[in-house]
Amino acid sequence: MRRTALAAALAAALLSPAMANAQVRILACEPEWAALAEEIGGEDVVVHSATHGGQDAHYIRARPSLIAKVRRAKILFCSGADLEVGWLPVLMQRGAGRIVQPGQPGHIMAADHVEVLERPEVLDRSLGDIHPGGNPHVHLDPGNIAILARLLTERLEQIDPDRAEAYRQRLASFQARWADAVAGWRERTEKLRGMKVVVHHKAWVYLLRWAELERVAVLERVSGIPPTASHLVEVLELVRNSGARAILRAPFEPEDASEWLSGKTGIPVVELPFTVGGSPEAGDLFSLFDSTLALLEEARDRS
Amino acid sequence: MSGLIGFLRAAAIGLPVLFAASVAQAQSGPPTAEELAAQIGDLKKDYEKRIAALEAQLAGMKARPPAAEQKAAPASRPSMRSGDNSFNPAIGVVLNAMFVDRSDEEVGLPGFQLGHESERPEKGFSLGHSEVTMSGNIDDKFRGALALGLGAHGSETEVELEEAYVQTLAGSGLPDGTRLKAGRALWTFGYLNEQHAHGDDFADRPLPYRAFLDGAYNDDGLELSVVLPGDIYKEIGGGVFRGGDIPFGGSETGREAWSAYARIGGDVGRNSALRLGAYVLDGEAHGRAGGAHAHDEEEDGHGHEEEEHAEGEEEDGHEEGHPHAELFSAGAFTGDTRLFGVDFRYTWAPTGNARDSELILQGEYFHRSETGSYTLQEEHEECEDPSPDPNNPHGHEVCETHVDEMAEDLNGSSSSGWYAQAVYKFLPQWRAGMRYARLSPPSAAELDNDLSTVSAMLDWTNSEFGRVRFQYNRETFGETRDNQFILQYVMSLGAHGAHSF
Repeated sequence: MRRTALAAALAAALLSPAMANAQVRILACEPEWAALAEEIGGEDVVVHSATHGGQDAHYIRARPSLIAKVRRAKILFCSGADLEVGWLPVLMQRGAGRIVQPGQPGHIMAADHVEVLERPEVLDRSLGDIHPGGNPHVHLDPGNIAILARLLTERLEQIDPDRAEAYRQRLASFQARWADAVAGWRERTEKLRGMKVVVHHKAWVYLLRWAELERVAVLERVSGIPPTASHLVEVLELVRNSGARAILRAPFEPEDASEWLSGKTGIPVVELPFTVGGSPEAGDLFSLFDSTLALLEEARDRS
Repeated sequence: MSGLIGFLRAAAIGLPVLFAASVAQAQSGPPTAEELAAQIGDLKKDYEKRIAALEAQLAGMKARPPAAEQKAAPASRPSMRSGDNSFNPAIGVVLNAMFVDRSDEEVGLPGFQLGHESERPEKGFSLGHSEVTMSGNIDDKFRGALALGLGAHGSETEVELEEAYVQTLAGSGLPDGTRLKAGRALWTFGYLNEQHAHGDDFADRPLPYRAFLDGAYNDDGLELSVVLPGDIYKEIGGGVFRGGDIPFGGSETGREAWSAYARIGGDVGRNSALRLGAYVLDGEAHGRAGGAHAHDEEEDGHGHEEEEHAEGEEEDGHEEGHPHAELFSAGAFTGDTRLFGVDFRYTWAPTGNARDSELILQGEYFHRSETGSYTLQEEHEECEDPSPDPNNPHGHEVCETHVDEMAEDLNGSSSSGWYAQAVYKFLPQWRAGMRYARLSPPSAAELDNDLSTVSAMLDWTNSEFGRVRFQYNRETFGETRDNQFILQYVMSLGAHGAHSF
């Protein structure tokens, strides 16, 4: 008797594909898209993020757990533009179902749906780990978040039509709150306009364009390869009398180069959250932008 | 679009002022300056909200192309070229070479056949396997890949077809998580077998891979694998194969081997992951022989493929007095051979970013059991002086070819081997690693000792695509010790496939 029950339980565990809950399973490659999926999907979805706020999504491993998650996912929600090229292809070939394959409703690559900046004119590996599809970090412009919110809602409606109304309602609520927040941020960015900054990696272009900050220098000259001493000296010359107010760094970027430059110039290093979960304050998409602006304002006022 | 937004923004600043003024005048009594300012502020906020909402809506409109366009390329990629080249397969080249210094004494693989891919590296400068890979989607249902290994042996260039396979894609109509792979491939067995050797953490494959698989098992056949649904990663699979590659060989029916495996894995906490696996590979071998060229002429007593060494008087130094060991290393095996394997791999990145620092622990254990027979034929000529026959002054030497045959029947003869390694990335571009490997020869070989190798490596990785490595090996068998120093580079250009776990 007990053995039968055990066997049945085992069989159920092995074979039943999420019979118990019919929630839509979403695998997000980055925490910002997971956060957006939570906003739109609410309790009707189960969201997993392949990376956490402290991780650089370029360089994670195609872990076994991700194969299991993509196997069950109805929606795969990523930045795209080759950001995940080091590991996502393995998932796509190894576990991913038909619905999340390119061209299917469950396949969302954010960069395919917004204006992508920094599309390289020359492709050569000597330029480092460049992205032929342009800069993939599109989430740091609130306008792009709004675009993706709408797109995700449409896809959810397609995949789970029974709860289309719930998704639409959550979208409406999100859009209203987002518009409010964007208005508030707009006031704040107006006062930040033209602020000069140094960045570690080119990951900040969307934020810089949206907040109208001015990039004075990039520490990582060759993308994906740590800056060399000679390049840092060049950057030092460039930055010394530039009036830069902050050196921006993401939580996953190495500290040494930015700290060195800060020590030489007195320009403060500002570690921005970069994504949801990138700092204790950045708990969701709203607080991500709130705390990012607060840190920039602090840097502006400090010097 | 941006013009429209700009206009709205200007209007947001300008309009409220006028509007507020007119509203204010309509109210009873002249308002104070503070009241006016507050009202203007409120209005301005209100307008900005509306503009932001408009912006969001505009953005939303951009995101929703008309239904007819939905299948077309996204608007943000207008300049996609669509010449013939865009359908070319992804091509990658891996360049690999080493400089080796080592002791003169060779440990070899006593008790095991030394395969072509498992020879110890040549002294001095040499090219390892350069590799050319091509891969791409065939259509919506299939994907194909080809991998050529280019090796230099002396003045000859050898081309080995490492992989040439097709596999199903998710759109093939098979159930989700199911994949069928057919052709020649590095099949699923243990951890390393599936990987191309240039992706290894050490310059050479560990002892059990050299002894049991001659580096890797890439036979012709097909394999089905299924990722089972569930939150924990579980994968099962199995295949049927020709039986033409070591540990088999000389396939007669062309379908003489099969495999099965199961894997389980998942995350351990936030920044580490683990995978475990169990494997079996079973089949018939018909006259399987090692086939390696031994390097050192004076030790080359069993180069049975090399006819010029027909003298055959010399025994291998370290195998002297072990005729059985000679039989196992130089003989040919016919019979059933079955390999069991278990493996584990654990990765831990302290900050979550394997790029900054990471610890990888990995180990595999193989057990082989063989039922069949080893036979060794040694030809040698024996010449007698011409008989002292005065009637025949032109007497020739009389030579006879003798064939000595040794044979031994085995019933479940077992041998085993394992390795464990740790690789630690202590700086973003630097890794250090240690590996210990051990091999127990078949008991029938009557060897008293196990073989073991201790390896230490240090490598520098400039980018994902270029790596320079130093490695030290100390191979030990009884009293024989072989110290090896290897300096190696592995660089890849062109398409660079994603790494599996």
